[in-house]
Amino acid sequence: MQRRFEAGAGIEPGMNSAPDEELMLQVRNGDSEMLGVLFDRYQAPLFNFYARLMGDRGTSEDLVQEVFLRVLRYRASYQPGTPFRPWIYRIARNARFDHYRKSPPQERFEPETAAAVAPPDSAQQEQEAELLHRALQQLPDDKREILILARFQELKYEEIAGLLGCELNTVKTRVHRALQDLRKAFRRLEQGIRHTGGGSAGTDFSLRRSGHEV
Amino acid sequence: MKCERIAELLPDFLRGTLERERTEVVEQHLSGCAECRDEVAVWSKLDLLPAVEPGPASRERFRAMLLAYQAGREAREPAPAALPNPQPRPARFDWLRSPLAGLAWALAMLLIGIFAGTAMSRLAPRSEDVAAMRTELSSVRQLLVLSMLQQQSATERLQGVSFSQREEKLDPQVLSALLHTLRSDSSVDVRLAALEALSHHPGQPQVRSGITDALQSQQSPLVQVALIDQLLEWRDPGLAERLRGLEKSAGLNPTVRERAQWALSKLQ
Repeated sequence: MQRRFEAGAGIEPGMNSAPDEELMLQVRNGDSEMLGVLFDRYQAPLFNFYARLMGDRGTSEDLVQEVFLRVLRYRASYQPGTPFRPWIYRIARNARFDHYRKSPPQERFEPETAAAVAPPDSAQQEQEAELLHRALQQLPDDKREILILARFQELKYEEIAGLLGCELNTVKTRVHRALQDLRKAFRRLEQGIRHTGGGSAGTDFSLRRSGHEV
Repeated sequence: MKCERIAELLPDFLRGTLERERTEVVEQHLSGCAECRDEVAVWSKLDLLPAVEPGPASRERFRAMLLAYQAGREAREPAPAALPNPQPRPARFDWLRSPLAGLAWALAMLLIGIFAGTAMSRLAPRSEDVAAMRTELSSVRQLLVLSMLQQQSATERLQGVSFSQREEKLDPQVLSALLHTLRSDSSVDVRLAALEALSHHPGQPQVRSGITDALQSQQSPLVQVALIDQLLEWRDPGLAERLRGLEKSAGLNPTVRERAQWALSKLQ
């Protein structure tokens, strides 16, 4: 017990190297200041999770705030020994579902983040990033989510299985199917560009802006 | 080896968590299968998607939320007993206070559930029978909520509040109890949870007026901010006036004042 307090005392956020679980226990026991350290560790991954999934900066930022508010609210329900990362992602998923319940997603969005991905005079890699981004957005919500969870969020397959409430093998199968679909969508978009614009990213953008599907 | 067989191994291969022997099997397959190779290539290409950075305001917003939360916890709250319970529980439900009673209710509900399930699967009952059964089950659960809201432990009260969210429609008595919790529970967490639970029942007039009143009496900045947000979401007709009044009150927490001004700007 004593050690816990020493770990938190007088240490700048950012410099604290205590494991997430220990910090969360301190938050649970009333030291809400420690949530700042967890915020620094998780705000960017969570923001990216939402931004890649939903493509909207503003909503993503709001949801990140909502997640940490919920961590405070439900901190009493955090059980010692629970891995923190899957725990906070569970909260993050619930926050997103509640958000959709309040304001259901409109028609297919044209993600804002895409503009930052590839400026018109981009090199091949940037064009590929733009196409990947669009291919990802073409996937159904659940496939996009599982790919993002598996690829970017540093969650083990076992943890994703716990998060989604399914078997480990089901997770692996679903990751693979989602990747197959992503590959097809990506190559299709790439083909479209070759046929219509000789592969220049500028053409791609003008088509996208005028609302045509390539 | 066929693609289907590789499919089982591929997810672990992609993350580098596959054991050496099997990795070699996959690599061998990849050398002869363009399609699977392309899947691996697309997976690697995902690295090209740049990470986006949250804006600088994000941390400030978080700090403000945390400060408001801490201020709310430190602020001396009015003793819960100072506010009379609007609808005192009938004495005959006193035994519900014990945790054992909670267990008993859970068991009773399980039995009712099993009974209802069996009954429904064996004979096709008239729809009004089923409806009656559902109503009965719902009121049993709501009684449980009432009892949990009276518990000593904040965790149990919190459970009571979240339990209430399973019901689509709440009895006026449960709504009153939730409003009472929102006004005077000693724990900020329980008050916040009560607000969230109540927010699902905007159609009930007592909920709206109760939440509006709570804005004036609330001591915790975090709850005040949450109340403002909720009333703003509902576009409550009297909100602008209330906010102006609140803004003028002396000793108001700066975060709350800021939120009130922000809400006022949204209303215009």
